[in-house]
Amino acid sequence: MIRQLTNWFRRAELEGGLDRELRYHLDRRTSDLKKSGLTDDDARRQASLELGGVTQIQEEVRDVWLARWLRDFAYDLRFSARSFLRTPSLTITAVVSMMLGIGAATAIYSLVDQVLLHSLPVREPARLVLVDATKGEQVAEGFGSWNLMSYPICRDLDAQKQFFEGVFCRALTDVNLSTGGDYHPTTAEIVSGNYFSLLGVGPALGRVLTRQDDGVANANPVVVISYDFWKTQLGGAADVLGRKLIVNMHPFVVVGVAASTFRGIDVGEVPSVWVPASMSDEVIPGGYTDLRHSSTRWMQVLGGLNEGVTLKQAQVGLQPWFKAMLQKNMNEAGFPKITPEQMQEYLHSSLLLTAAPQGHSGLRRILVQPLCVLFAATMVLLGLACLNVSGLFLARGSARDREIGTRLALGASRGRLGRQFLADSLLIALTGGFLGAALAPLAVRALVAFLPKNTAANALHAGVDTRLLLFAFGVSVTAGVLSGLAPAWQSGRQSFLSSLQQRGGTAFRGVRLRKVIVTAQIALTLTLVVGATLFVRTLDALMTKGPGFVTSSMVSFRLAASRNGYSKTDGSRLIRRIDEAIRNSPLTQVSAVAGFPLLTGGSWNNPITIQADKRITTDHAVNLNAVTPGFFRTMGIRILAGRNFDERDARPSGEMGFRSAIVNESFAKRFLDGRNPLGLRIGGGSGPDVKTDIEIVGVMSDFSYRGLRDESEQAFVPFLEAGSGDATFYVRVRGAPESAFQTLRTIVHNVDPTLPVMDLRTLDEQVSRSLNTEHMLATLSGGVSLLALVLSVVGLYGVMSFVVTRRTREIGIRLALGADRWSAIWMVLREALLMILAGIGMALPVVWFLGKLIVSQLYDVKPFDPTVITMATLVLGTAALSAALVPAHRASGVNPTESLRAE
Amino acid sequence: MPPSRFPIPQGTLDMMILQIVSLEPAHGYGIAQRLEQISRSVVQVNQGSLYPALHRLEQKQWLRAEWHESETGREAKFYSLTAAGRKQLVVEKDSWARLAGAVQLIFDEGKR
Repeated sequence: MIRQLTNWFRRAELEGGLDRELRYHLDRRTSDLKKSGLTDDDARRQASLELGGVTQIQEEVRDVWLARWLRDFAYDLRFSARSFLRTPSLTITAVVSMMLGIGAATAIYSLVDQVLLHSLPVREPARLVLVDATKGEQVAEGFGSWNLMSYPICRDLDAQKQFFEGVFCRALTDVNLSTGGDYHPTTAEIVSGNYFSLLGVGPALGRVLTRQDDGVANANPVVVISYDFWKTQLGGAADVLGRKLIVNMHPFVVVGVAASTFRGIDVGEVPSVWVPASMSDEVIPGGYTDLRHSSTRWMQVLGGLNEGVTLKQAQVGLQPWFKAMLQKNMNEAGFPKITPEQMQEYLHSSLLLTAAPQGHSGLRRILVQPLCVLFAATMVLLGLACLNVSGLFLARGSARDREIGTRLALGASRGRLGRQFLADSLLIALTGGFLGAALAPLAVRALVAFLPKNTAANALHAGVDTRLLLFAFGVSVTAGVLSGLAPAWQSGRQSFLSSLQQRGGTAFRGVRLRKVIVTAQIALTLTLVVGATLFVRTLDALMTKGPGFVTSSMVSFRLAASRNGYSKTDGSRLIRRIDEAIRNSPLTQVSAVAGFPLLTGGSWNNPITIQADKRITTDHAVNLNAVTPGFFRTMGIRILAGRNFDERDARPSGEMGFRSAIVNESFAKRFLDGRNPLGLRIGGGSGPDVKTDIEIVGVMSDFSYRGLRDESEQAFVPFLEAGSGDATFYVRVRGAPESAFQTLRTIVHNVDPTLPVMDLRTLDEQVSRSLNTEHMLATLSGGVSLLALVLSVVGLYGVMSFVVTRRTREIGIRLALGADRWSAIWMVLREALLMILAGIGMALPVVWFLGKLIVSQLYDVKPFDPTVITMATLVLGTAALSAALVPAHRASGVNPTESLRAE
Repeated sequence: MPPSRFPIPQGTLDMMILQIVSLEPAHGYGIAQRLEQISRSVVQVNQGSLYPALHRLEQKQWLRAEWHESETGREAKFYSLTAAGRKQLVVEKDSWARLAGAVQLIFDEGKR
């Protein structure tokens, strides 16, 4: 097969060889015969008689070189190409349809592949598993979150050699990093010493981190830098090894550059430096990291299974070890007090292993559903494109009736003709696919701009790789075969006698099939239009609703003083100084500070215990924040009852914890059951020993915290002295917000020039960032359904014009017999209307079913919302009817005498 | 009376070509001559079917072809047996022997 394919490209060489070979045979035979006494002419004649027909031999040998079907197919393609060049408008329409369909599918697939499918560029990605525990294990503390484990657990698991080749742990964090000049926020990955060796990642320069680096705590200030960081930030300097980097004000020595293909194990978050876990105190200041206690969970644990060990075996085999660890933890000092139910849940939790050949990625979690939805939409679009090409071919098939009839009469088999049609559609699909694949990188680049994170832009590439090309090729061939099926089938049903008997150009066959195709197109388009309308409505609803606080003229930025070596006390003093400087700036209207940023997807949260007439423990975490008194005025958030924070809330020096809190309406509604919240006391945590010594002093209006869909319960406490040096500033400025950027930078710079100003942007931008996914879904599904609309409208127009042309005589007769123009128009429109209604009827159950799958992406709109369905149907119906109106109008203009004479 | 020369049985041409080439590399005309000599006046080989067969065997990589100077001094395409071809020849000879033996058995059965 492969040899036969390559033979196709060396045809000329093979032909030449065969010619020489046969000529040699003839010449030798001739000269031998002459020796036996024949004359020159007789010998030559005798020789070629013996050999037989040279042409026939050549044909037979060619069949050996290339299988018959392959040769025929090549000729079919050539024939198709020639006939396509004769009908350029049809060819261009078909190719453009395919190009749009395949290009869109390829572009989305590129993202699907990179975000969802691609395995890590490490040794044996298939054996990587993520180690996690079922939910109960976390109940004990209310600290930590999704799939986080502790460093000692990682160490212990690493020793389970019967299951694991090794187990490593890692944690991503942001650091302030300087290569000698300014400090910049940079992503760092804290890893155990066996990280690189287990992943099989080597150095491009120097060495990678080893177990020795991860030995004694705080003793090995070394980093491995990423290849990209080396190239872009250090100019690819050859003498980079041994250089000093300042990470959070601590000097670290560069010992190596990681291999260029390795970009960490998180899609969308590329670390610039890798630091051994032994140095985690320096990298994450504040004592959150703990290398000794298995209850402090802050790292992700991943293992490489031994060869031959299945995930299930390992999971079952490790349960005894896990249970023992739970027991041991419970007896450890510092284990939180918990209720008996919580204890039950804790002891019943079990170890959970998940295959992680693609590593781990928050980006993936966010994008799985939107990308799948978009991929499905582009697949539907591609289906529409195929139907369009089918329709065009059927139309052409009717026009080619005579040619086909003639070929049948001359003895061509029906199968042979069907293959010709397949060759036609394959040629179109491959050309379209080639153009589509060529355009895909542009589309991908545009798509990446929609993705929710800055980092996505540098972690995803827009290039075309082999996988992508294979996908495009596979899709093109499939599309080609699918769109050729209908015409091929149609040609198989044709009787050559009837086609020869018929007068030219009035063939009727194929119209019914074309109507079916257009009906299907309308049905597919309606599902896309409904989907797009739902996403647009969702985006619109979220934008109209807004975050519940003022965003215009607002600027926010973040500082992380703890990373610059500030203690909690010094850090909060620094924040206070900067806060004052900003408030005194002539540019500022009002400003405030919050401990945690809003609309970034994350939050500070904890279950809460409320002491009312009885003790109430919240069944899930409440979102918390610490804010300065000016916060509510700055953000335009109303205090609905009680009071704002003031001096009364400051705690006496030496006292820990907060004295007062302001909860939001949802909190009161959800947990307090009509009780007056003012004066009630709450405390953080859900255990039986939680002290409820924080008084609720006010109730604030609801607003968005994590994101715009967020309607969570919130409890805010005052931003205190000695609280934290990590804070987000919210400033309402005079004039254009962007013009304040430089002033704000200068204010911070004047207080501490080494402190990086992070995420400096307007709140409007922050809002639109948090709506990235919704933007992407609305825009892209809108674009896709617009294309779909165009395709099906073109299809409908084509069929209706054909119908009108074919029935010109009939219409002429009707008009001659006294029918008026309106009835001619109605005759055509009725047919179109029937197709449109049938298509809509087919689509509605599908829409009803598919709607359920996208509920989680919607906001404030039901998947089977009657208004949306009506709107989408109206848009589609209007577009389709206008397309039918043009041929209908033509029908009404038929001149009876001329139409009859034309026959 | 049967004709003095009968057409070569289906499928045996390949085997005969492999056998001839196994003795020494040969060009198309040479193979044709050899076939003629060996099977003189018994088997009739259509020379026209020789070349498709040669190309088929080359495609299957049982034969290897090279252009050499021939005994007349002109360049000719010489075919020689590959390792795979040698194996194939053994297989074909074996199955031919078994077929012939089986046919003989059936004939012997009739005599008794």
